Amino acid sequence: MNTPRLIFASALAAIATIVFVVVITIWAELSVPLKDWLKNFSGHHWTSKSIFSALLYAGATVIVYGLFHNPGDVRLRRTLVFLLASTALGSIILTAFYTGHHFRLF
Amino acid sequence: MDLLAVLQSKPVLIGLHLGFAIVGIDAFLWLLGQLKDDGGSRKGRIVTAAVGVIAFAASWLAGGYYYVVYYGALVKPIIKSGAAPWVHNIVMETKEHIFLFVVPLAMTTLFITLLKKEDMERLGLRRLACCFAGVVAALGLLIGAMGFVISAAARWG
Repeated sequence: MNTPRLIFASALAAIATIVFVVVITIWAELSVPLKDWLKNFSGHHWTSKSIFSALLYAGATVIVYGLFHNPGDVRLRRTLVFLLASTALGSIILTAFYTGHHFRLF
Repeated sequence: MDLLAVLQSKPVLIGLHLGFAIVGIDAFLWLLGQLKDDGGSRKGRIVTAAVGVIAFAASWLAGGYYYVVYYGALVKPIIKSGAAPWVHNIVMETKEHIFLFVVPLAMTTLFITLLKKEDMERLGLRRLACCFAGVVAALGLLIGAMGFVISAAARWG
C-alpha cells in the first residue's frame, strides 16, 4: 500500500463527496421530482444522500488510487489544502442556502 | 423489552449519537496534541485516529436512525410550530448535511497518520495533518452546538 497515493485518493474522493452533497442538497430543495426520487430510493432523502455519499467516497478513493500512481509532493499538499477549503466553502454555501431559503430569497 | 428495542428507543439513540460524537471529537483533539507536540508513537496516532473515525461513523448511524425514524414525526413539528421555526429550516437542515463531510475528512486524516514520521516531514504534511485533526474536531464541535440549539428549540418552543 502506497500511503501518499492513498492520502491523495482519499482527499480527492472527499472533495468529490463534499461537492456532491452540496449540489444534490441544493438541487433537491429546488426540484420536487429529485427530492421525491431520493425519498423513494431509500425511504428518506437524507438516507439516500448518506448512501450515495458513502459509496461515492469509497468508490472514488479506489478509482483515484488505481489511476494516479505518483501524485507528487506538491500536488498532494495542494489537494489537501483544497480539501480544507472545500470543507469550509461547502459549510458556508449550505448555511447560506438554507438561510436564504428560510427567508424566501430563492 | 429486548436489547434491540432499548437501543432503538429515543433517549438511547440520542445518547449514542452524542456519546460517540464526543469520543470522535476527543480522539481528534488528542491526535492534534500528538501531532503538534510530535508525541506518541506512530501506532498510537493511528489508533487514536481510527477510534475517532469509528466513533463518528457510529454517531452517524445512531443519529441517522433517530433522525429518520423519530425527528421528522415527533420533533420537527414542535420546532416548526414554535417560536423559532428557523432552527429546523436553517440549523437542522445545515447540520444534517454538513455531517456527511465528517467521515471522509476523518478517513483522510487517518490515512495521513499511516505515514512514518520521517515521511510526514519529507512530504511537508505535519502542519497540514494538525490542520486536519483540528478541522475534524472543530466540525464535530460545531455540529454538537447546532444539536444543542435544535434540542433547546424542541424543549422550550
